[in-house]
Amino acid sequence: MRTNAVVHLRKITKTYRIGKEIEVKALRGVDLDIVPGEFVAIMGPSGSGKSTMMNILGCLDVPDDGVYELAGQNVRALSDDRLAQLRNKHLGFVFQTFNLLPRLNAVENVELPLVYGGDRHARRERAIAALEQVGLGDRVHHRPSELSGGQQQRVAIARALLNDPSMILADEPTGNLDSRSSAEILAIFQRLNDSGKTVVMVTHEPDVASHCKRIVRMRDGVISADERVFTPRRAEEELLTGIGAGE
Amino acid sequence: MKLYDSFRSALQSLVTNKLRSALTMLGVIIGVASVIAMVAVGNGASQQVQNTVLSLGSNLITVTPGNLTDQGLRGAGEQAQTLKLDDMRSIQEQLGASIRAIEAEQGAGRWQVIGGGQNWNSIVNGVSEGYPDVRDWKLQSGEFFGESDVRLNVQVCVIGATTAQNLFGESDAVGQTIQLRQVFGSGPQARARILNFKVVGVLEPKGSTFGFSRDDQILVPVSTGQRVLTGRRDVVNAIVVKASSSEAMGDTTEDVRSILLQRHKIADPASADFTVTNQNDTLAALSAITGTFTLLLGAIGGISLLVGGIGIMNIMLVTVNERTREIGIRKAVGARRLDILQQFLIEAIALTGLGGILGITLGWTITEVIKRIPQANGLILIITIGTVAIAVGVSVGIGIIFGLYPAMRAARLHPIQALRYE
Repeated sequence: MRTNAVVHLRKITKTYRIGKEIEVKALRGVDLDIVPGEFVAIMGPSGSGKSTMMNILGCLDVPDDGVYELAGQNVRALSDDRLAQLRNKHLGFVFQTFNLLPRLNAVENVELPLVYGGDRHARRERAIAALEQVGLGDRVHHRPSELSGGQQQRVAIARALLNDPSMILADEPTGNLDSRSSAEILAIFQRLNDSGKTVVMVTHEPDVASHCKRIVRMRDGVISADERVFTPRRAEEELLTGIGAGE
Repeated sequence: MKLYDSFRSALQSLVTNKLRSALTMLGVIIGVASVIAMVAVGNGASQQVQNTVLSLGSNLITVTPGNLTDQGLRGAGEQAQTLKLDDMRSIQEQLGASIRAIEAEQGAGRWQVIGGGQNWNSIVNGVSEGYPDVRDWKLQSGEFFGESDVRLNVQVCVIGATTAQNLFGESDAVGQTIQLRQVFGSGPQARARILNFKVVGVLEPKGSTFGFSRDDQILVPVSTGQRVLTGRRDVVNAIVVKASSSEAMGDTTEDVRSILLQRHKIADPASADFTVTNQNDTLAALSAITGTFTLLLGAIGGISLLVGGIGIMNIMLVTVNERTREIGIRKAVGARRLDILQQFLIEAIALTGLGGILGITLGWTITEVIKRIPQANGLILIITIGTVAIAVGVSVGIGIIFGLYPAMRAARLHPIQALRYE
């Protein structure tokens, strides 16, 4: 299992300092393995450490102690720039607030990862292909302000897909969306997962999590439960029957 | 991140914030324009001084009687009578072909002139036949008097263009005779000396030097002037040697000095009874003065450029702050520190570079406008490639210097904090 794992975490700890006095132990020894093709939901109340977990999984932050191997590569000893390259090659991010650049249009936003890695020539075609994959082939030149929330999130997913990452990390991706848009986004994730993509999603909504194949629950900086979902809900079917997710 | 992407991103950002970019650039534009315009004035002034000096002839070595070093300023050359026409002939003989030309001069003061039925007052100078070659001065009609005229004290003259115009109008002055008059005493006892001179040539107009018109004068053979006009026989006010080239001036100066020391039987050069002035030295001294002047003007312009640069830094810090989230997003998708640094640095350089180009255009426009103002008549303004290159270099340099700190701040931002920034 360890050899082909996308994510391999052992005894991960992370402590934040707030000011000079207060120390917050966000993670107190986390062990976790994620293999290719999984669709994992990380759940937990606020303060449980799931955001910190997300940052560390996303190589946006490094743990104080423990082992983190991403696609076989040890992350702890890497410099900021090497971490940036790792994010560029192996990770795709989808955020709650979409995080698109307002000055750029959809396709320019999508091609951003290739600006920082990869060649310039195939860039535009690949970005357009990714937009078509999320059903936005007709919105290529729209700016984020001209798109609905669901459409903006789909642009963000296209951006996350562009470098063909080892894992897509989604942080409350449906948090700012209505139930229909949420279902659409979840349907896209499920479709990507069906085709073999590894997706890790942080959410506090059980309805959203019930679309995943595995739910990891966190409490007070440790994993409190790790369960399989044997029959995940299908967002596509819910869209057809008109029952939204997250309700 | 490729440079192309950085440039595109920078231009996009400048276009998005049009007013802000324009106002920020204004500082650089004014700075560069003032450097360009002020240095143009400075360069023009030094060119004007050089033109004036060279209009007296180029590569000149001037020997004047008396020693300025031991007599100080009081030793005005007029009093000393140590230079002779023979000194000139001796230098001419000994240096021969190694010099371009030589002449000797003796001023004869102002005279009343009558010719062509007109009355005029003009300066009369005694010069030798080498005058036109030494002074690079051609004749518009007739010929200059020759060596034999000088040797034989012939009463001929060459007159300036203004003098010819005033006396003879449009008709040809060559072949006419003019009278030089000087009145002694006053009232009924007044007596006048009247001397006839035949006009053999008219000089080309040359304009004025240091405010004096050089086209209103009468040149007579120096020997004639000595005998019939001044009575100061054999003495000259100056011997002027034209060296064969600018490079040869040092050697020729030494040659002239040693010949005269030998002739005057003076062993110690420090006690020489004459002074040799090298035109190159004069030019060097003058250009040192005008160079300082130019530097001062450039520095004044430079201060406004510095102020513009601080404006750039200020606005770049605001920009970085405003775009913290953007930096976070870029870092999340894989931008390295250098990528972010490059992006913001190029944005600053684009601001100052564009400002620099506009500033050059403005500076050039200002000088063109000044040239066309009638009151600035004769003012020379020179924009050199060097000035433009320095202005562009400095404005891009200011972009780098004042853009570096904001860009470094942007590059150092932590991705998580940048992403969370509201």
